[in-house]
Amino acid sequence: MRRLLPIVLPGLALLAWEVTARSGSISRIVCPSLFAIARELGTFAIRSDHLTEAWISLYRALAGFAVAAVVGVPLGLALGRSPSAARLVEPLLSATYPIPKIALFPIFVFALGIGSLSKVSLVFLECLYPIVINAAQGARAVNRVVVWSARNMGASPIQILGKVVLPAAAPAVFAGFRVALPVALIVVIITEMIGSADGLGYFVMGALADLRTDRLLAAVVVTAALGWALDGLVVGSRARLIFWEQHETYFN
Amino acid sequence: MGGVRTWLAILVGALLAGALGAAAQEVPLIRLGHGFAAEEQLWLMVARPDLTPSQNKKYRLKFVQFQGNADRLQAYVAGELDGGTNPGITLIFAKAQGLDIKAVASLCLEAAGKEHFQTTYMVKEDGPVKTAADLRGGTVAVVAPKSATDLWARAGILRAGLVPDRDVKIVPMAFPAIGPAVRSDKVTMGTFVEPFYSSEKVKGGLRPIFNAVEAVGYDHELLDIWFSEKFLKTHGEAVRAFLADYVAATKYYVVNRDQAKRDLVAKGFVRTPVEVYVKTADWKREPNGRIDVDSLKKLAAFMLEKLSWLEKPVNVDELVDQSYLPK
Repeated sequence: MRRLLPIVLPGLALLAWEVTARSGSISRIVCPSLFAIARELGTFAIRSDHLTEAWISLYRALAGFAVAAVVGVPLGLALGRSPSAARLVEPLLSATYPIPKIALFPIFVFALGIGSLSKVSLVFLECLYPIVINAAQGARAVNRVVVWSARNMGASPIQILGKVVLPAAAPAVFAGFRVALPVALIVVIITEMIGSADGLGYFVMGALADLRTDRLLAAVVVTAALGWALDGLVVGSRARLIFWEQHETYFN
Repeated sequence: MGGVRTWLAILVGALLAGALGAAAQEVPLIRLGHGFAAEEQLWLMVARPDLTPSQNKKYRLKFVQFQGNADRLQAYVAGELDGGTNPGITLIFAKAQGLDIKAVASLCLEAAGKEHFQTTYMVKEDGPVKTAADLRGGTVAVVAPKSATDLWARAGILRAGLVPDRDVKIVPMAFPAIGPAVRSDKVTMGTFVEPFYSSEKVKGGLRPIFNAVEAVGYDHELLDIWFSEKFLKTHGEAVRAFLADYVAATKYYVVNRDQAKRDLVAKGFVRTPVEVYVKTADWKREPNGRIDVDSLKKLAAFMLEKLSWLEKPVNVDELVDQSYLPK
């Protein structure tokens, strides 16, 4: 019975959905049947052109995220460990963090074109902030005694950064990754909805244009599955790489 | 005694106000979702209420403006509209999804002839594309996926022997951005409607490749007015009065286009400078508001057979109901 507990609420929600859809009390455009959504999902899974749309979105999200990680982690570590770097960069970071960068997308399109580059660039920009901020926080929180000990043992600044600061900040870095990855997917879908000839966002707009909300929801399920898989990848990597720190929860 | 008179006057006044309010309430309100282009004669009904004798007597109008096509139908499904304007092909999509709406009148058509404007696809004049067949490997900007502009682009590409998406990419882009995008080679060809078409022609450097009529090969409905079936059943007389006024406004617009355009600019419906606006070409408008049903049937067949935008045929006769138009 305990094993079934996690699926009780989702099961009830799905049942309520299907009952509502079949009752005819709400338009099928608002509440399409789960079977219609499942049929669209099935079609999505076997059609290579649809799978290509998913791949394009995934590729754009991962490319932007990867560049943000490569740039953001060293930048964050530098901000966390160097007061002068922090004084130089943090005002700019704080001032630009709240800007809704998605509003800049039309300018990105003008500058970089309608293809992948404009979308990957915006994903990079959106992902950069949580990665930098978390990495900086992690680097700043490194126990100074550990750093002093390493220094006393003759470690160079580079060695301290690589062997002390980075491992100690790694949990915060991964926290930044976990925030940034869903952001990457969201930004990709939105930019593809605004201006694209391919990707899941474009697929969603096509479904919306002919009022196929069952198809639209199938794309949402695919996006959710991608996000879930990517999050699992980050959590799995974290558990493997930061083996010395296990999550403590109320349940263990 | 004076006090009693005063109270009596207040009571009578309140009753009168109530009665007048109730009378106003009895005039059915039509909540109409509309767009931002090619709907001049409809806007004229609000800009020039003197052309619509039944307005506020047999019906009241509430215009709600939308940017896109699908969002009007979303608002309708949410119960916020009684009717609206949409491209014929959007109504075909809506019917395919079982939406309980009827197209009741034509707003404008894509029609051949120098006297009418046709949505035009243009490329850079000094670029390599001389005909649609040269578009292979290029990109075409349309306003939205599965919109009328998308349909015409695909029709023109197919007519040139190319395969949309495989040979030519089709990307959505806002109308104001298309001109600069073509000029800066961000896209190979763009869709141009008025007033962007005229302003880009004035700048020069762009060459037309085909227009909407050439792409599909026949005159056809561009925009239509639709109502919910439920609203037609419950407020049929109001819709009849509305359409009678609409036809009157259309006839006035067709004959007095310049003045009508000036009125629309004065009332803020159009923000294009008035001298530019009056010179722009205009789509064909049927003075009697009659829908070219055959052209909708041809479009539905094209959407089904050539574009695979529909899964099964749509009964266009069931979509259209012109019985509410004046005889």
